[in-house]
Amino acid sequence: MADESTAGTFQVPLWRAIAVFRFASMAYVVLMVALNVTDYARPLAAIPALVVLVGWTAAAAYLYARPAWLGWPLLGTDLAVTLVLLIASPFVIGRTAIADGAPSLAVAWEAGPVLAWAVSGGRRRGAIAALIVGAADVTVRPNLTPASNTGLMLMLLAGVAVGHVARLAVESEQRLQQAVELEAATRERERLARGIHDSVLQVLALVQRRAAHLDGEAAELARLAGEQEAALRALVSGRAPRQRAGPEVDLRTILDGYASPLVSIAAPATPVRLPAATAHEVGSAVSAALDNVIRHCGADARAWVLLEEEAGAVTVSVRDDGPGIPAGRLAEAAQQGRLGVAQSIQGRIAEMGGTVEIISAPGEGTEVELRLRVGR
Amino acid sequence: MVVDDHPMWRQGVARDLAEAGYEVVATSGEGVQAVRIAPAARPDVVVLDLQLPDISGVEVIRGLLAALPEVRVLMLSASGEEQSVLDAVKAGATGYLVKSAGTEEFLEAVRRTAAGDAVFTPGLAGLVLGEYRRLAKSGGPAEDDGAPRLTDRETEVLRLVAKGLSYKQIAARLTLSHRTVQNHVQNTLGKLQLHNRVELTRYAIERGLDAPD
Repeated sequence: MADESTAGTFQVPLWRAIAVFRFASMAYVVLMVALNVTDYARPLAAIPALVVLVGWTAAAAYLYARPAWLGWPLLGTDLAVTLVLLIASPFVIGRTAIADGAPSLAVAWEAGPVLAWAVSGGRRRGAIAALIVGAADVTVRPNLTPASNTGLMLMLLAGVAVGHVARLAVESEQRLQQAVELEAATRERERLARGIHDSVLQVLALVQRRAAHLDGEAAELARLAGEQEAALRALVSGRAPRQRAGPEVDLRTILDGYASPLVSIAAPATPVRLPAATAHEVGSAVSAALDNVIRHCGADARAWVLLEEEAGAVTVSVRDDGPGIPAGRLAEAAQQGRLGVAQSIQGRIAEMGGTVEIISAPGEGTEVELRLRVGR
Repeated sequence: MVVDDHPMWRQGVARDLAEAGYEVVATSGEGVQAVRIAPAARPDVVVLDLQLPDISGVEVIRGLLAALPEVRVLMLSASGEEQSVLDAVKAGATGYLVKSAGTEEFLEAVRRTAAGDAVFTPGLAGLVLGEYRRLAKSGGPAEDDGAPRLTDRETEVLRLVAKGLSYKQIAARLTLSHRTVQNHVQNTLGKLQLHNRVELTRYAIERGLDAPD
């Protein structure tokens, strides 16, 4: 159930609408009394009843507009005033007149507190208020007429519907608040990224550069600085999040994840869009190829990834500068079914209708080229 | 001449250059200032950080080339800002190096830039290759729309550069001379820069900006 404190700016128009309804229904009650006062059992008693009616209408309009007053005392008083007017009705108007269908002293006005309860606390609270007022209305009538029944049903409906709308208002306000906070956080992140880019990254690159040609510990520090620079840059460059959504992803963002001081990624400046599943398969294949480079050429082997897009085809090549594979060894290994990783890459790409070519010569490194047709 | 907004970098680069026997005629941390002092300093090579606090790298390059048409620009970039690197190359920069490159690599790049060679990283080759393909795609099948095309040999060379092969390795693999490989690489840049100038002029004429005042 909504807490009164969460009632925010979205509810202000609702409170205003309820105040308008109270004044309009008050005018209706005054008119009814003026027309029928000559038939009343105690016409003079109608005067204090009308004073209470008008006074509370004005007070309610004033108090409900102030969030500090919004709470159980106000809601309770509101309901109590309505019940008093309802219960006083047979005494002022006379039992027989009521039985004949004369409107009570709170006719339509009695819906005011029901709406107030609904806005303050949602559907359930609106329904409870409607049932209480309805029950009071029924008890003061010796007999039920179809018209009064319809009125009560409408009041119950109004309580539930308005409560529902009020709840939605509170939820949308909370969601809006979350969105605003998220945007602020994103902006802060971008600001931090700029700061890191201008300071930390530059210094790390500098450390790496100045110590790279030294020996021993300094060289190790340079290497570490270089690794951290690459990792931090990938973290703050943040090209990914917005493009990751949707059925197509930019293959560049996936391949960028594999960049390191040892792995160069070359790609066009414009996005290379592929269906998400295909792009991730290609990413896995590239990852497997890079793992293969490390396994066969050592952990400090360099590798180059090239992403190209031509009309109708996407090509990704992974090249290393390792010792290469002697001619015939590849075919021999394939015959013996010992191609392992290469075969798993081939499998992945073939499933998507692509081809894999492995080019190698002793002393010239090994190149794995993945080609995919893309429907465009 | 060294242009970089980070003082530590500026000093470090300037010291490396001085130690290697180059004369550093000016340093600057801002693009506008760099363009203003360049005519007096008359540098042969400008080592330019693409990310400056005031104006874009492209604007700096245009300003430098307008004042000193013979100047060579070697750009350094700390991040993978593909589009700005590509724009800088189209605006007339002839060399590109990532900031994490080692001192040796950097000095070699300065030497080659000064000699008039195009200095490519594999990343830059990938960008240039992508740009030609983009132009080819948007230009349609008609060959006479002025969009530059790569010859088959140029494409082949550029792909090998993007895959990390050195000019020497490329020359060996394609049985070409080292000089020919270099010329091919240079041509790919030259055509792109020429096309960029033609496009700018065409744009200016369309907008009536060429009217004499």
